[in-house]
Amino acid sequence: MSVDLKARAAQAVELAQQAGAEDAWSTVTQSRNVQFEYRDGSLEKVKDTTSQSLGIRIYAGGRYSSHSTTDLNTERLQDFIAEAVAITAALEPDEYRRITPEALFRDRPGDDLDLVDDSVQALEREQRISWCRALDEVAHQHSDVISATSGVYDGTQRSASASSNGFLDEQRSTYCWFGASVTLRDEGDKRAEDGFYAGGAHVADLPGPEEVGRKALARTVSRLGSGKGPTVKASMVVDAQAAASLIGRLLGPANARSVQQERSFWTPLIGEQAFSKVLTIVDDPLIVRGLASRRYDDEGISARVLPIVEDGIVRNIYVDTYYGRKGGMQPTTGLPSNRVVRPGSHSLAELLSEVDEGVYVTSWLGGNADGTTGDFSLGLRGHMIENGEVGRPVGEMNVTGNLRDLFSRLELVGNDPYPYSSTLAPSLVFSGVDFSGA
Amino acid sequence: MKRREFLGGAAASGAVLTMPAFLSGCGIQQAMSVADKTPENPFMEWFGVDQATTARVMSELSASGADAADLYFQHSRTNFLTLEDGIVSSASSDIQQGVGLRVVIGEQTGYAFTEDLTLPSMLAAARTASAIASGTRVVAPQAFSEQGAGDLYKTAVPWSDVGIDQKLPLMKFVESQAKSMDEAVEKVAVYWADQDERVMIATLDGRLVTDHRPMTRVTLTVTARRGEEVQSGYSNIAAREEFDWYTEERLTTMVREAVDRTMVLFDARRPPAGEMPVILASGASGILLHEAIGHGMEADFNRKGVSIYSDMIGKKVAEPFVTVVDQATIPRERGALNYDDEGNEAGRTVLVEDGILKSYLHDTISAKQYGLQPTGSGRRESYRYAPMPRMSCTFMEDGPHTKQEIIESVDRGIICETYTNGQVQIGAGDYTFYVKNGWLVENGKVTAPIKDVNIIGNGPESLKRITMVANDARLDTGGWTCGKNGQSVPVSQGIPTVLVSKMTVGGENVG
Repeated sequence: MSVDLKARAAQAVELAQQAGAEDAWSTVTQSRNVQFEYRDGSLEKVKDTTSQSLGIRIYAGGRYSSHSTTDLNTERLQDFIAEAVAITAALEPDEYRRITPEALFRDRPGDDLDLVDDSVQALEREQRISWCRALDEVAHQHSDVISATSGVYDGTQRSASASSNGFLDEQRSTYCWFGASVTLRDEGDKRAEDGFYAGGAHVADLPGPEEVGRKALARTVSRLGSGKGPTVKASMVVDAQAAASLIGRLLGPANARSVQQERSFWTPLIGEQAFSKVLTIVDDPLIVRGLASRRYDDEGISARVLPIVEDGIVRNIYVDTYYGRKGGMQPTTGLPSNRVVRPGSHSLAELLSEVDEGVYVTSWLGGNADGTTGDFSLGLRGHMIENGEVGRPVGEMNVTGNLRDLFSRLELVGNDPYPYSSTLAPSLVFSGVDFSGA
Repeated sequence: MKRREFLGGAAASGAVLTMPAFLSGCGIQQAMSVADKTPENPFMEWFGVDQATTARVMSELSASGADAADLYFQHSRTNFLTLEDGIVSSASSDIQQGVGLRVVIGEQTGYAFTEDLTLPSMLAAARTASAIASGTRVVAPQAFSEQGAGDLYKTAVPWSDVGIDQKLPLMKFVESQAKSMDEAVEKVAVYWADQDERVMIATLDGRLVTDHRPMTRVTLTVTARRGEEVQSGYSNIAAREEFDWYTEERLTTMVREAVDRTMVLFDARRPPAGEMPVILASGASGILLHEAIGHGMEADFNRKGVSIYSDMIGKKVAEPFVTVVDQATIPRERGALNYDDEGNEAGRTVLVEDGILKSYLHDTISAKQYGLQPTGSGRRESYRYAPMPRMSCTFMEDGPHTKQEIIESVDRGIICETYTNGQVQIGAGDYTFYVKNGWLVENGKVTAPIKDVNIIGNGPESLKRITMVANDARLDTGGWTCGKNGQSVPVSQGIPTVLVSKMTVGGENVG
């Protein structure tokens, strides 16, 4: 892992210019990924890989194209880049396709994000196996376990970029995840299945493997005897883990590309009180040890904290340089980092106790949303809420509505953000939601 | 798993539709320079290896024992083009080259890959993969016998010989057709993708399998406006085809679908929520089979006992007029394969025959465990992944009823026509699919359009509730991608018009 990636990226830019490009932006990545998986008491899978690739964006004669390859043989790379420049000439000119201006990458923050844990790079096989055993043992502590798969997933990523207008930088990070998925015998031919995964840039930030295995088993046990809930209009409490994915759906079309292409329900909402006053979402790439923290994005744009929604008012959307120019919007970043939902002051138990009749959602199953209108319909798993407490498990149900309308019905926000996702969302309570079941 | 991605495109959007985010591309040259030696096989030449090198790496791979082992050489080049706002101003291309090395002992798998196809790198990867094993060396073949080339998707002109200058006029044609079909159409985007993929698989039992796999897809998105209201829709077509496949007629049909699906949204509403009869229109509704039964029949889930179908082989699961097949040998289909990614001949597997559950989809590991022949269902996304049992083209055969009889039999329900995505829980059997377009059925007649509802059911229960099957089976022409365990592979699906007597339909207007 000692290759000078920055030099490689810079060399690719040079090759592109020699081949006739006016501007070029190259990114070289290198990663090592290791996966150890245990199933039912024995090692089932070991995967250990080192991977590399090079990507280059070419700007020539008012035209643009981008290319990537895993074949880094020097001679062939030269041909690849020359051909990439030749391809560009066959396209139509577009005044909005220009390299990231220097002003957008000049003031990059310093490297104090602490994204590299040296102990990840030094992990030994025996340590990984011992973690797998610990996960596996705890995940099996129930008489109805049919099978449990436990894993340790770790790695190191490096990425360097160079550009013809003076960008030259490198980012590194490590990751380590523990996880287990469990299947339990349920009624008839049915099996209950669930799992739990926890990860971070540093091993020290992870819960122990026993805790991860225990949570995986507990989540699965809570699914036993699941039935179908009623067709009803009621409150919906979404747990923090499921909330992360719901926030992801909400933000899906909140970008310049979707707006410029007229495929976003966010278009008329910019600057407006679009959602409930309790909703605040910030994109924060500068969280120390954050899962999606960075000093610059894929276009080189300097990382900064970006308010998306403040007290329900839409402040910003994700704007890359191309669609920003084309749509008349100032670039922010086209690539989300850590999406942080501002927590409230109530625990999950307190949120549940506020609800007379409703469904507590712990995960989604399928479903989708129309980005143009915000109309959505999602399958769900969870529990009925009975007298303010978690009741019987339910599944095979849908929740249907419109994302803008749903988030204007957001009543309460919990104090329990889920830490193992780049979307840091707490539990959420919505009122007047349409459920379909039996 | 959440992993950071440094390279490449824009933010992933929430929608599940797997469509290339950026486009463009064009002609190519041969990616590998020809080595000095005289290789026996053009694929070996392509990858810059020969029999002796391959044997040497295989020997290292099996040095600590193996029941099975394989080398999976792959080279793919994908070209994308994007037309937005009337111009094609973005092209992109992606080359993926590498070799995956796998050792299997019982149910254990050791896996490594390298993108550097030199002998030292391949030997190092072989040692990494073989570390799963701790037994004694098995005798590796000294030479590999070439298996015959398949003929399911032979191409006269590979994509590497088709330039941007040929593709661009077709994209412009699609755009102009879309704009002319309805004056409410405001924005049109056309996304082009084509791919040449070469794989070469060497196995521990001495086989050498090669396959040249073409693929192409064109996607059209349409945004239309009526007053303040904006709606968008899309359609796409995909196949293992070459350039000539894109006739004006085929493209016009695709455009018609996209425009019709978009314009009907202005009048479409949500159906009432709850349980009701659901008619699945022929074609794309094969998504029911993919989710409700196909995944549950993949033998990796069954050998581990985690599928709801684990104990059902030989049992009656549906009415006698229900037969469900997974077949890779349908020429030029998106899910077609001459050989699977373990080098086994791909074939036809009957999952359900006359209502009886017949066979799982097997890879080498599961076939050995069950004492059966593999069904040629071992697939992988790329050299970066170990293979597992997967579907190819999954469909239901014709039944005894007609579409008209089915519609007339329903008092109050819906008919589903187009879909964006689906999902299943293997153990519980609950599965879903998302309906983009459909219609209400009232008193035996198709009435008002509906949109954007998720439908959820339970696999074995839904199979039992298939009460009518029509005689109009067809495969969908859309570009479906299956994403099991994070590995994407192209698939096809199809079905005749079918009635499922009760499913849970997402909806509004709850009383």
